[in-house]
Amino acid sequence: MTVAPAQQQGGGTGNLYDVLELVLDRGLVIDAFVRVSLVGIEILKIDVRVVVASVDTYLKFAEACNRLDLESGRNKSPGLPDVVGGITESGAEGKTKGALSGAAQAVSKASDAFQKARDEAQEGSTRRRTTTRKKEERE
Amino acid sequence: MSTYVYGISRTPAPPLRRGLTGVGDPPRAVRVLERDGLVAVVSDAPDDLRPKRRQLLAHQQVLAAVSAERVVLPMRFGSVSEDDATVGEVLLDRAGHFLERLETLEGKVEYNIKASHNQEAVLHLVMAEQPGLRAESEANRAAGGGTYEQKLALGEKIARAVQAREPADAALLRRALEPLTAEVSEGPQSAGWLANLSVLVDREAADALLSAVEELDTSAPQLDLKVNGPLPPYSFVEKTDASADPTATAAARTAPATG
Repeated sequence: MTVAPAQQQGGGTGNLYDVLELVLDRGLVIDAFVRVSLVGIEILKIDVRVVVASVDTYLKFAEACNRLDLESGRNKSPGLPDVVGGITESGAEGKTKGALSGAAQAVSKASDAFQKARDEAQEGSTRRRTTTRKKEERE
Repeated sequence: MSTYVYGISRTPAPPLRRGLTGVGDPPRAVRVLERDGLVAVVSDAPDDLRPKRRQLLAHQQVLAAVSAERVVLPMRFGSVSEDDATVGEVLLDRAGHFLERLETLEGKVEYNIKASHNQEAVLHLVMAEQPGLRAESEANRAAGGGTYEQKLALGEKIARAVQAREPADAALLRRALEPLTAEVSEGPQSAGWLANLSVLVDREAADALLSAVEELDTSAPQLDLKVNGPLPPYSFVEKTDASADPTATAAARTAPATG
Protein backbone atom coordinates (compact mmCIF):
# COMPACT_ATOMS: atom_id res chain seq x y z
CA MET A 1 0.00 0.00 0.00
CA THR A 2 1.25 3.45 -0.81
CA VAL A 3 -0.05 6.33 1.22
CA ALA A 4 0.67 9.74 -0.21
CA PRO A 5 1.79 12.30 2.32
CA ALA A 6 -0.93 14.37 3.86
CA GLN A 7 -1.68 17.53 1.97
CA GLN A 8 -2.49 19.68 4.88
CA GLN A 9 0.12 22.36 4.95
CA GLY A 10 -0.16 23.65 1.43
CA GLY A 11 3.45 22.76 0.75
CA GLY A 12 3.35 18.98 0.46
CA THR A 13 1.25 17.81 -2.44
CA GLY A 14 1.60 14.07 -2.56
CA ASN A 15 1.47 12.75 -6.06
CA LEU A 16 -0.21 15.42 -8.11
CA TYR A 17 -1.07 13.01 -10.86
CA ASP A 18 -3.31 11.04 -8.58
CA VAL A 19 -5.15 14.16 -7.56
CA LEU A 20 -5.09 15.73 -10.99
CA GLU A 21 -8.09 13.84 -12.29
CA LEU A 22 -10.09 15.03 -9.31
CA VAL A 23 -9.00 18.62 -9.83
CA LEU A 24 -10.02 18.35 -13.49
CA ASP A 25 -13.03 16.08 -13.32
CA ARG A 26 -14.60 16.67 -9.94
CA GLY A 27 -15.18 19.75 -7.86
CA LEU A 28 -17.88 22.33 -7.99
CA VAL A 29 -18.96 23.73 -11.35
CA ILE A 30 -20.98 26.91 -11.33
CA ASP A 31 -22.61 27.98 -14.56
CA ALA A 32 -22.15 31.69 -13.80
CA PHE A 33 -18.39 31.16 -14.06
CA VAL A 34 -16.52 30.53 -17.26
CA ARG A 35 -14.23 27.52 -17.37
CA VAL A 36 -10.77 27.54 -18.84
CA SER A 37 -10.46 25.37 -21.92
CA LEU A 38 -8.98 21.98 -21.13
CA VAL A 39 -7.84 21.16 -24.65
CA GLY A 40 -4.93 18.73 -24.50
CA ILE A 41 -5.81 17.35 -21.13
CA GLU A 42 -8.20 14.63 -22.31
CA ILE A 43 -5.31 12.79 -23.94
CA LEU A 44 -4.04 11.86 -20.51
CA LYS A 45 -7.21 9.99 -19.81
CA ILE A 46 -7.41 7.55 -22.72
CA ASP A 47 -3.83 6.38 -23.06
CA VAL A 48 -3.85 3.31 -20.89
CA ARG A 49 -7.05 1.60 -21.96
CA VAL A 50 -5.70 1.55 -25.48
CA VAL A 51 -2.44 -0.05 -24.46
CA VAL A 52 -4.05 -2.78 -22.37
CA ALA A 53 -5.43 -4.71 -25.35
CA SER A 54 -2.33 -4.63 -27.52
CA VAL A 55 -0.13 -7.34 -29.00
CA ASP A 56 2.67 -5.95 -26.91
CA THR A 57 0.75 -6.55 -23.73
CA TYR A 58 -0.10 -10.12 -24.74
CA LEU A 59 3.52 -10.94 -25.43
CA LYS A 60 4.60 -9.44 -22.16
CA PHE A 61 2.00 -11.46 -20.29
CA ALA A 62 3.15 -14.64 -21.99
CA GLU A 63 6.76 -13.93 -21.15
CA ALA A 64 5.90 -13.01 -17.59
CA CYS A 65 4.18 -16.37 -17.28
CA ASN A 66 7.11 -18.22 -18.70
CA ARG A 67 9.26 -16.75 -15.99
CA LEU A 68 6.71 -17.27 -13.27
CA ASP A 69 7.66 -19.91 -10.76
CA LEU A 70 4.55 -22.02 -11.08
CA GLU A 71 5.95 -24.93 -9.10
CA SER A 72 6.13 -22.99 -5.91
CA GLY A 73 2.59 -21.85 -6.53
CA ARG A 74 1.15 -25.33 -7.06
CA ASN A 75 0.63 -26.31 -3.47
CA LYS A 76 0.29 -22.91 -1.96
CA SER A 77 -2.27 -20.23 -2.07
CA PRO A 78 -1.25 -17.89 -4.84
CA GLY A 79 0.68 -14.75 -4.27
CA LEU A 80 2.13 -15.54 -0.87
CA PRO A 81 4.98 -13.21 -0.04
CA ASP A 82 7.57 -16.01 -0.15
CA VAL A 83 6.44 -16.92 -3.65
CA VAL A 84 7.03 -13.40 -4.80
CA GLY A 85 10.28 -13.41 -2.89
CA GLY A 86 11.38 -16.53 -4.77
CA ILE A 87 10.78 -14.85 -8.07
CA THR A 88 12.74 -11.84 -6.98
CA GLU A 89 15.67 -13.98 -5.95
CA SER A 90 15.69 -15.79 -9.24
CA GLY A 91 16.64 -12.48 -10.75
CA ALA A 92 13.70 -12.20 -13.10
CA GLU A 93 12.12 -9.39 -11.17
CA GLY A 94 12.72 -6.66 -13.69
CA LYS A 95 11.42 -8.76 -16.54
CA THR A 96 8.32 -10.17 -14.93
CA LYS A 97 7.19 -6.68 -14.03
CA GLY A 98 6.73 -6.03 -17.74
CA ALA A 99 3.13 -6.24 -18.76
CA LEU A 100 1.25 -4.31 -16.17
CA SER A 101 3.79 -1.61 -15.68
CA GLY A 102 4.09 -1.36 -19.44
CA ALA A 103 0.42 -0.63 -19.63
CA ALA A 104 0.84 2.07 -17.09
CA GLN A 105 3.80 3.60 -18.81
CA ALA A 106 1.98 6.55 -20.26
CA VAL A 107 0.68 7.36 -16.85
CA SER A 108 4.04 7.05 -15.16
CA LYS A 109 5.45 9.51 -17.62
CA ALA A 110 2.80 11.97 -16.66
CA SER A 111 3.47 11.15 -13.06
CA ASP A 112 7.15 11.95 -13.52
CA ALA A 113 6.24 15.21 -15.11
CA PHE A 114 4.09 16.19 -12.20
CA GLN A 115 6.75 15.12 -9.78
CA LYS A 116 9.00 17.54 -11.59
CA ALA A 117 6.41 20.24 -11.29
CA ARG A 118 6.27 19.65 -7.60
CA ASP A 119 10.02 19.80 -7.25
CA GLU A 120 10.07 23.02 -9.17
CA ALA A 121 7.36 24.47 -7.04
CA GLN A 122 9.36 23.60 -3.97
CA GLU A 123 12.47 25.21 -5.37
CA GLY A 124 10.49 28.36 -5.79
CA SER A 125 9.73 30.02 -9.07
CA THR A 126 12.86 32.14 -9.19
CA ARG A 127 15.03 29.58 -10.96
CA ARG A 128 13.51 28.10 -14.04
CA ARG A 129 15.23 25.93 -16.56
CA THR A 130 14.64 26.45 -20.23
CA THR A 131 14.40 22.73 -20.93
CA THR A 132 11.62 22.34 -18.42
CA ARG A 133 9.78 25.23 -19.93
CA LYS A 134 9.97 23.70 -23.36
CA LYS A 135 8.73 20.42 -22.01
CA GLU A 136 5.86 22.22 -20.39
CA GLU A 137 4.88 23.77 -23.68
CA ARG A 138 4.67 20.35 -25.31
CA GLU A 139 2.40 18.99 -22.63
CA MET B 1 -10.19 42.16 -14.03
CA SER B 2 -11.62 38.65 -13.97
CA THR B 3 -11.48 36.55 -10.83
CA TYR B 4 -10.26 33.00 -10.41
CA VAL B 5 -12.26 31.00 -7.86
CA TYR B 6 -10.63 28.17 -5.87
CA GLY B 7 -13.39 27.25 -3.52
CA ILE B 8 -16.23 28.32 -1.29
CA SER B 9 -16.14 28.22 2.47
CA ARG B 10 -17.98 29.97 5.25
CA THR B 11 -17.19 32.61 7.82
CA PRO B 12 -15.05 33.12 9.76
CA ALA B 13 -12.76 33.37 6.74
CA PRO B 14 -9.91 30.85 6.83
CA PRO B 15 -6.64 32.41 7.99
CA LEU B 16 -4.48 32.26 4.89
CA ARG B 17 -0.73 31.97 5.13
CA ARG B 18 0.89 35.30 4.33
CA GLY B 19 2.06 35.35 0.77
CA LEU B 20 -0.11 32.40 -0.29
CA THR B 21 -0.28 32.49 -4.06
CA GLY B 22 -2.33 30.65 -6.63
CA VAL B 23 -2.52 30.32 -10.39
CA GLY B 24 -0.71 32.53 -12.88
CA ASP B 25 2.83 33.36 -13.87
CA PRO B 26 3.83 35.15 -11.74
CA PRO B 27 1.44 33.48 -9.25
CA ARG B 28 -1.38 35.78 -8.15
CA ALA B 29 -2.03 36.54 -4.48
CA VAL B 30 -4.88 34.61 -2.91
CA ARG B 31 -7.56 36.57 -1.10
CA VAL B 32 -11.07 36.02 0.22
CA LEU B 33 -14.43 37.60 -0.60
CA GLU B 34 -17.10 37.52 2.08
CA ARG B 35 -20.85 37.69 1.56
CA ASP B 36 -23.43 36.88 4.21
CA GLY B 37 -21.65 34.09 6.02
CA LEU B 38 -19.99 32.67 2.92
CA VAL B 39 -16.40 33.06 1.80
CA ALA B 40 -15.01 32.67 -1.69
CA VAL B 41 -11.29 31.96 -1.92
CA VAL B 42 -10.11 33.77 -5.05
CA SER B 43 -7.26 35.47 -6.82
CA ASP B 44 -7.01 37.64 -9.88
CA ALA B 45 -7.32 35.45 -12.97
CA PRO B 46 -4.36 35.51 -15.33
CA ASP B 47 -5.36 36.28 -18.92
CA ASP B 48 -3.56 33.33 -20.39
CA LEU B 49 -4.51 30.61 -17.93
CA ARG B 50 -3.97 27.14 -19.36
CA PRO B 51 -4.30 23.72 -17.71
CA LYS B 52 -0.58 23.28 -17.18
CA ARG B 53 1.00 21.29 -14.37
CA ARG B 54 2.10 24.37 -12.50
CA GLN B 55 -1.40 25.83 -12.58
CA LEU B 56 -3.12 22.60 -11.53
CA LEU B 57 -0.68 22.29 -8.69
CA ALA B 58 -1.33 25.86 -7.59
CA HIS B 59 -5.08 25.24 -7.57
CA GLN B 60 -4.66 22.12 -5.46
CA GLN B 61 -2.19 23.77 -3.07
CA VAL B 62 -4.50 26.68 -2.33
CA LEU B 63 -7.34 24.27 -1.63
CA ALA B 64 -5.13 22.08 0.56
CA ALA B 65 -4.18 25.13 2.61
CA VAL B 66 -7.79 26.25 2.99
CA SER B 67 -9.05 22.76 3.68
CA ALA B 68 -6.57 22.40 6.54
CA GLU B 69 -8.35 25.32 8.25
CA ARG B 70 -11.98 25.17 7.19
CA VAL B 71 -14.53 23.06 5.41
CA VAL B 72 -14.43 24.08 1.77
CA LEU B 73 -16.30 23.30 -1.44
CA PRO B 74 -13.45 22.94 -3.95
CA MET B 75 -14.15 24.34 -7.40
CA ARG B 76 -13.17 22.32 -10.43
CA PHE B 77 -9.95 23.64 -11.97
CA GLY B 78 -10.33 26.66 -14.20
CA SER B 79 -13.40 28.43 -12.83
CA VAL B 80 -13.17 32.08 -13.76
CA SER B 81 -15.69 34.77 -12.90
CA GLU B 82 -16.13 38.07 -14.68
CA ASP B 83 -15.19 40.03 -11.57
CA ASP B 84 -15.39 40.00 -7.77
CA ALA B 85 -18.91 41.39 -7.84
CA THR B 86 -20.17 38.42 -9.86
CA VAL B 87 -18.62 36.01 -7.35
CA GLY B 88 -20.44 37.90 -4.60
CA GLU B 89 -23.74 37.59 -6.44
CA VAL B 90 -23.27 33.85 -6.87
CA LEU B 91 -22.60 33.49 -3.15
CA LEU B 92 -25.77 35.42 -2.32
CA ASP B 93 -27.94 33.67 -4.91
CA ARG B 94 -27.00 30.16 -3.84
CA ALA B 95 -26.26 30.73 -0.18
CA GLY B 96 -28.77 28.11 0.98
CA HIS B 97 -27.30 25.41 -1.19
CA PHE B 98 -23.69 26.19 -0.35
CA LEU B 99 -24.38 26.37 3.38
CA GLU B 100 -26.20 23.05 3.29
CA ARG B 101 -23.28 21.40 1.48
CA LEU B 102 -20.71 22.95 3.83
CA GLU B 103 -22.70 21.74 6.82
CA THR B 104 -22.78 18.20 5.38
CA LEU B 105 -19.06 18.18 4.69
CA GLU B 106 -17.95 19.79 7.96
CA GLY B 107 -15.20 17.74 9.60
CA LYS B 108 -14.95 15.36 6.66
CA VAL B 109 -12.20 14.77 4.14
CA GLU B 110 -11.86 12.87 0.90
CA TYR B 111 -9.49 9.97 0.38
CA ASN B 112 -8.87 8.59 -3.07
CA ILE B 113 -7.96 4.93 -3.33
CA LYS B 114 -6.74 3.38 -6.54
CA ALA B 115 -6.25 -0.32 -7.05
CA SER B 116 -4.28 -2.08 -9.72
CA HIS B 117 -3.21 -5.69 -10.08
CA ASN B 118 0.09 -6.84 -8.73
CA GLN B 119 1.36 -8.78 -11.70
CA GLU B 120 3.03 -11.75 -10.04
CA ALA B 121 0.27 -12.25 -7.55
CA VAL B 122 -2.56 -11.97 -10.05
CA LEU B 123 -0.83 -14.32 -12.49
CA HIS B 124 -0.48 -16.91 -9.77
CA LEU B 125 -4.12 -16.48 -8.93
CA VAL B 126 -5.26 -16.79 -12.53
CA MET B 127 -3.07 -19.85 -13.10
CA ALA B 128 -4.38 -21.49 -9.96
CA GLU B 129 -7.96 -20.88 -11.03
CA GLN B 130 -7.59 -21.96 -14.64
CA PRO B 131 -5.80 -25.30 -15.05
CA GLY B 132 -6.15 -25.03 -18.84
CA LEU B 133 -4.17 -21.82 -18.96
CA ARG B 134 -1.64 -23.25 -16.63
CA ALA B 135 -1.14 -26.34 -18.74
CA GLU B 136 -0.74 -24.22 -21.83
CA SER B 137 1.76 -22.01 -20.11
CA GLU B 138 3.76 -24.99 -18.89
CA ALA B 139 3.74 -26.53 -22.36
CA ASN B 140 5.02 -23.27 -23.81
CA ARG B 141 7.69 -23.08 -21.23
CA ALA B 142 8.78 -26.65 -21.86
CA ALA B 143 9.07 -25.74 -25.54
CA GLY B 144 11.45 -22.94 -24.66
CA GLY B 145 8.83 -20.23 -24.60
CA GLY B 146 6.80 -21.32 -27.62
CA THR B 147 6.46 -19.69 -31.02
CA TYR B 148 5.43 -16.11 -31.52
CA GLU B 149 1.87 -17.21 -32.29
CA GLN B 150 1.71 -19.44 -29.24
CA LYS B 151 2.97 -16.66 -27.02
CA LEU B 152 0.48 -14.27 -28.48
CA ALA B 153 -2.43 -16.67 -28.02
CA LEU B 154 -1.43 -17.50 -24.47
CA GLY B 155 -0.79 -13.89 -23.59
CA GLU B 156 -4.17 -12.84 -24.91
CA LYS B 157 -5.94 -15.49 -22.85
CA ILE B 158 -4.04 -14.47 -19.75
CA ALA B 159 -4.74 -10.80 -20.35
CA ARG B 160 -8.44 -11.59 -20.65
CA ALA B 161 -8.42 -13.74 -17.54
CA VAL B 162 -6.70 -10.99 -15.59
CA GLN B 163 -9.16 -8.43 -16.89
CA ALA B 164 -12.07 -10.68 -16.00
CA ARG B 165 -10.92 -10.56 -12.41
CA GLU B 166 -11.10 -6.80 -12.26
CA PRO B 167 -14.77 -6.39 -11.30
CA ALA B 168 -14.47 -8.92 -8.48
CA ASP B 169 -11.35 -7.28 -7.12
CA ALA B 170 -12.92 -3.83 -7.43
CA ALA B 171 -15.91 -5.08 -5.45
CA LEU B 172 -13.55 -6.48 -2.84
CA LEU B 173 -12.08 -3.02 -2.29
CA ARG B 174 -15.46 -1.36 -2.16
CA ARG B 175 -16.78 -3.83 0.39
CA ALA B 176 -13.75 -3.25 2.60
CA LEU B 177 -14.13 0.52 2.59
CA GLU B 178 -17.85 1.13 2.50
CA PRO B 179 -18.59 0.43 6.17
CA LEU B 180 -16.06 3.08 7.23
CA THR B 181 -17.16 5.90 5.00
CA ALA B 182 -19.94 8.44 4.85
CA GLU B 183 -20.09 8.36 1.06
CA VAL B 184 -18.36 6.58 -1.79
CA SER B 185 -17.86 8.03 -5.24
CA GLU B 186 -16.44 6.30 -8.30
CA GLY B 187 -13.48 8.28 -9.53
CA PRO B 188 -13.10 9.12 -13.20
CA GLN B 189 -12.36 5.92 -15.12
CA SER B 190 -9.14 6.99 -16.65
CA ALA B 191 -5.80 5.67 -15.79
CA GLY B 192 -6.10 1.92 -16.11
CA TRP B 193 -6.89 1.26 -12.50
CA LEU B 194 -9.20 -1.64 -11.82
CA ALA B 195 -10.80 0.53 -9.19
CA ASN B 196 -10.66 4.22 -8.50
CA LEU B 197 -12.74 5.14 -5.48
CA SER B 198 -13.08 8.35 -3.59
CA VAL B 199 -14.49 8.09 -0.11
CA LEU B 200 -15.71 10.71 2.31
CA VAL B 201 -14.69 10.11 5.91
CA ASP B 202 -14.68 11.97 9.19
CA ARG B 203 -11.22 13.37 9.84
CA GLU B 204 -11.15 11.28 12.99
CA ALA B 205 -12.02 8.09 11.10
CA ALA B 206 -9.13 8.47 8.67
CA ASP B 207 -6.88 6.17 10.68
CA ALA B 208 -9.48 3.41 10.64
CA LEU B 209 -9.77 3.81 6.88
CA LEU B 210 -6.02 3.56 6.41
CA SER B 211 -5.90 0.46 8.59
CA ALA B 212 -8.65 -1.16 6.54
CA VAL B 213 -6.75 -0.47 3.35
CA GLU B 214 -3.59 -1.88 4.83
CA GLU B 215 -5.42 -4.99 5.96
CA LEU B 216 -6.83 -5.53 2.48
CA ASP B 217 -3.40 -4.96 1.00
CA THR B 218 -2.20 -7.92 3.07
CA SER B 219 -5.20 -10.20 2.65
CA ALA B 220 -5.49 -9.63 -1.10
CA PRO B 221 -1.93 -9.68 -2.43
CA GLN B 222 -3.17 -9.43 -6.02
CA LEU B 223 -4.11 -5.82 -5.29
CA ASP B 224 -1.72 -2.92 -5.33
CA LEU B 225 -3.41 -0.12 -3.46
CA LYS B 226 -2.57 3.53 -3.56
CA VAL B 227 -4.10 5.97 -1.12
CA ASN B 228 -4.17 9.72 -1.52
CA GLY B 229 -5.44 12.06 1.10
CA PRO B 230 -6.71 13.80 3.05
CA LEU B 231 -8.03 15.89 0.18
CA PRO B 232 -10.61 18.63 -0.09
CA PRO B 233 -13.91 16.90 -0.88
CA TYR B 234 -13.71 17.26 -4.68
CA SER B 235 -15.97 14.29 -5.31
CA PHE B 236 -18.64 15.24 -2.80
CA VAL B 237 -19.50 18.84 -3.53
CA GLU B 238 -22.82 17.83 -5.03
CA LYS B 239 -25.47 15.69 -3.44
CA THR B 240 -25.43 12.07 -4.46
CA ASP B 241 -28.60 10.54 -5.82
CA ALA B 242 -29.08 8.51 -2.67
CA SER B 243 -29.26 11.48 -0.35
CA ALA B 244 -30.69 14.01 -2.76
CA ASP B 245 -33.95 15.70 -2.07
CA PRO B 246 -35.23 16.43 -5.58
CA THR B 247 -37.13 19.61 -4.70
CA ALA B 248 -34.22 21.11 -2.78
CA THR B 249 -31.69 20.36 -5.49
CA ALA B 250 -33.92 21.72 -8.20
CA ALA B 251 -34.15 25.04 -6.36
CA ALA B 252 -30.47 25.34 -5.63
CA ARG B 253 -28.96 23.56 -8.60
CA THR B 254 -25.52 24.72 -9.61
CA ALA B 255 -25.50 22.73 -12.85
CA PRO B 256 -26.07 24.46 -16.20
CA ALA B 257 -29.52 25.76 -17.20
CA THR B 258 -30.14 28.13 -14.32
CA GLY B 259 -28.52 30.86 -16.42
